[in-house]
Amino acid sequence: MKKLIVILLVSVIAGAARAQEYKVAKSTGRLELHIGRVTVEGHSGNEIIFTSRDGDKERDPRSEGLTSINSLGLKDNTGLGLNVSEKGDVVSVYNLKKNNSPDVKILVPKGVIVAFEHQGVNGGTAEFRNMENEIEVSAQYNSVELENVSGPLTIRSIYGHVEATLGAIVKDPISIVSVYGYVDVSIPAATKANLRMDTSYGEILVDPKFKIDFESSDGDRVSGKLNGGGVNIDLSCNYGKVYLRQK
Amino acid sequence: MEREKLEGLLIDFIDGRLTESERKEVKELLSTDENVRVLYEQLKQVTTAMDRSAQIAPSARLERGFQQMLHEEEAQQNAPKQKQVFFSPVVLRAAAAVLLVAMGIAIGNYVKEHNTQKRQLAEIAKENARLKDDMLAMMGDQNSASQRMKGVNVALTYERADDELVDALVKTLNEDKNSNVRLAALEALSKFHQEPQVRKALIAALSKQDDPVVQIALIQLMVKMKEKGVLKDLNRIIEDQDAIQPVKDEAHSGILKLS
Repeated sequence: MKKLIVILLVSVIAGAARAQEYKVAKSTGRLELHIGRVTVEGHSGNEIIFTSRDGDKERDPRSEGLTSINSLGLKDNTGLGLNVSEKGDVVSVYNLKKNNSPDVKILVPKGVIVAFEHQGVNGGTAEFRNMENEIEVSAQYNSVELENVSGPLTIRSIYGHVEATLGAIVKDPISIVSVYGYVDVSIPAATKANLRMDTSYGEILVDPKFKIDFESSDGDRVSGKLNGGGVNIDLSCNYGKVYLRQK
Repeated sequence: MEREKLEGLLIDFIDGRLTESERKEVKELLSTDENVRVLYEQLKQVTTAMDRSAQIAPSARLERGFQQMLHEEEAQQNAPKQKQVFFSPVVLRAAAAVLLVAMGIAIGNYVKEHNTQKRQLAEIAKENARLKDDMLAMMGDQNSASQRMKGVNVALTYERADDELVDALVKTLNEDKNSNVRLAALEALSKFHQEPQVRKALIAALSKQDDPVVQIALIQLMVKMKEKGVLKDLNRIIEDQDAIQPVKDEAHSGILKLS
């Protein structure tokens, strides 16, 4: 029994010692994520910090001294199942395994533009929290969740939905497009915005407390000014519904 | 007696201006004093000559000459008076000079204003060109999709799109790596869809477009424009292996609406 406890303790300690982190010293430029899922958070440091949220895997003793590579020739240079490379102003991140993205959390300084791109079927959710950065998302199946972000946002998903809550500061432009998924956005009541909401086959639902100054529009578009106008907010769904809430 | 007093006395004696007693005195002097008698003779001669000259009247001819000279003198005296009358032309001349200067100032001002206006127009045109360059630069920002989108949104505020702008928008529509920016470019181009080259570019874009989100929006725009020329392209999309289902559905719907 004692032996078992000792072995457990040792492996836990060994595992803890291996909590992987990969840092890139960069506080401007672009971070391009070509991975299936991610949790990105803003922070006040000046480094991009990658950590794995997967439970610590047991290290394969046979792989000691060897590096994992994939069919594109990319190496796992982070120990997280990711290949991170820098070219000029752009930090590019790729999955080693195409069909299996590690659960990764990335802390990003606010001066870095974050771009997430994933076109495969094996994707998960892309989460963005507490960020003042510009965020670009081009997804096929991924759903996108943004919490307490300021924009600028250019987000597009074909089959996934997009949920966003904007903070007190909203930066122009906010553009969210989904073909099949829904678009659900919460903004502070006092936000000054030029609203444009389209849906081809769905519905546009807004909080009745919003006083929208409607402008005549064509087709299925609802456009108008909120609180006098300001930031351009474009929300578009082909088959899904657009929800505009007050925070 | 002093000489002067004596002279005065003798003259008065000659002129007969003395009293009785003074005359007797002078006669006494004359008879007794040789010098007095000489002086008396001299003075008498002078007085007589003077009297005689006073009686010489000018001859007729002399008189006539003199009168003529007098007239001429009078005429010349009047001439300066007529020169006084020419002052008015001088005043007029001054007035004319002032008027000319004033006109010169007015013309100068007008020309200056005209030039200022021309310069201001040129400056406005230059400012517009610079704003357009800024917009095109924003549209070309490879780092930030939001900048490209902002640049395209500026194009939405234009009433008319010139060739340079249309080309930039079409390029963005067909090649931008961000779907949202492409959609914004499509939005801007659809505003100018009346113009033939924009229409042509939109039709061409449909065959090139591979982004499903943009394909759907483009098909919807074609239907709105009632552009039957795209029916061939729509059919091709339906057959296309790479096109995803929502795009094919939209193409079907488009064919139905356009036929």
